[in-house]
Amino acid sequence: MYGALDISTSGLIAQRTRMTVISANLANRNTILDTAGNVNPYKRRHAMFAPGDPTAKSGAARELGVHVHTSDINEDAVRLRHQPGSPYAFKDGPNEGYVPVPDIDPVVEQVNAMEASRAYEANIAAADATKTMLAQALRLLA
Amino acid sequence: MVSIAGISDSGALPALATSMRFAAQRNRLLAHNIANLTTPGFQPKDADPRAFQATLAGAVNERRARTGGLRGKLELPETSELRRDARGNLRLEPRTPSTNILGQDRNNSDLERSMQSLAENTAFFRVAVDLMRFEGDRLSRAIRETA
Repeated sequence: MYGALDISTSGLIAQRTRMTVISANLANRNTILDTAGNVNPYKRRHAMFAPGDPTAKSGAARELGVHVHTSDINEDAVRLRHQPGSPYAFKDGPNEGYVPVPDIDPVVEQVNAMEASRAYEANIAAADATKTMLAQALRLLA
Repeated sequence: MVSIAGISDSGALPALATSMRFAAQRNRLLAHNIANLTTPGFQPKDADPRAFQATLAGAVNERRARTGGLRGKLELPETSELRRDARGNLRLEPRTPSTNILGQDRNNSDLERSMQSLAENTAFFRVAVDLMRFEGDRLSRAIRETA
């Protein structure tokens, strides 16, 4: 039955990781420069889940649970904002006067954050049920 | 007369122990389904508790017919969902799919049904534990020869 706690914990870790990714997306909604100071807008990231827990010790336990398979970077998530006076705007070409900005929709991120938080709660409830069952089984010995 | 060697096979104890094993194993399946609530393409599978109870009832009747009473080993037959591993322990092969409609991420998890199953399974486990404690008290009273 301890395995069930591992499974619920893997769900908690996955949802928390997803929440971190969502927070990073929201925090960098207006980030148009990279760490070196070049124009390189922040690209939206997305945590992809897959069943199974590769960190589990036994083979049977590796099949159960969930993990973040990849944290995809969406390279196309850039849109252009017309801002001719900006020092970061394109100086020539068809996009002259436009600044590339991250294409991050706060509504989508909020909805994802809500789903992650509800799923986190569901995993807490499952872990609670497992703990109750463990306590009941242990009381048999007393 | 029950010999002390067969004491763990006496009365309702083997049926209760099997029920507890089933509930503990099913708890893992339900935790897995809840952990994958938002995994794209994941379709939860469960083990059917009604089918288990029917199989268990069959095994109890078979034991009664074989030994003529509430004693002797309980032989739970294997079904497509109830398997035994090399050490003879119960192992569940979940085959009962969720009947919920498929979401756009090809996941048909149903949070409410999952939570309901979890609550029912915890209650089922609790019933088995309580009855087992009752049986244990009965045995210890018999050993102490007190009422």
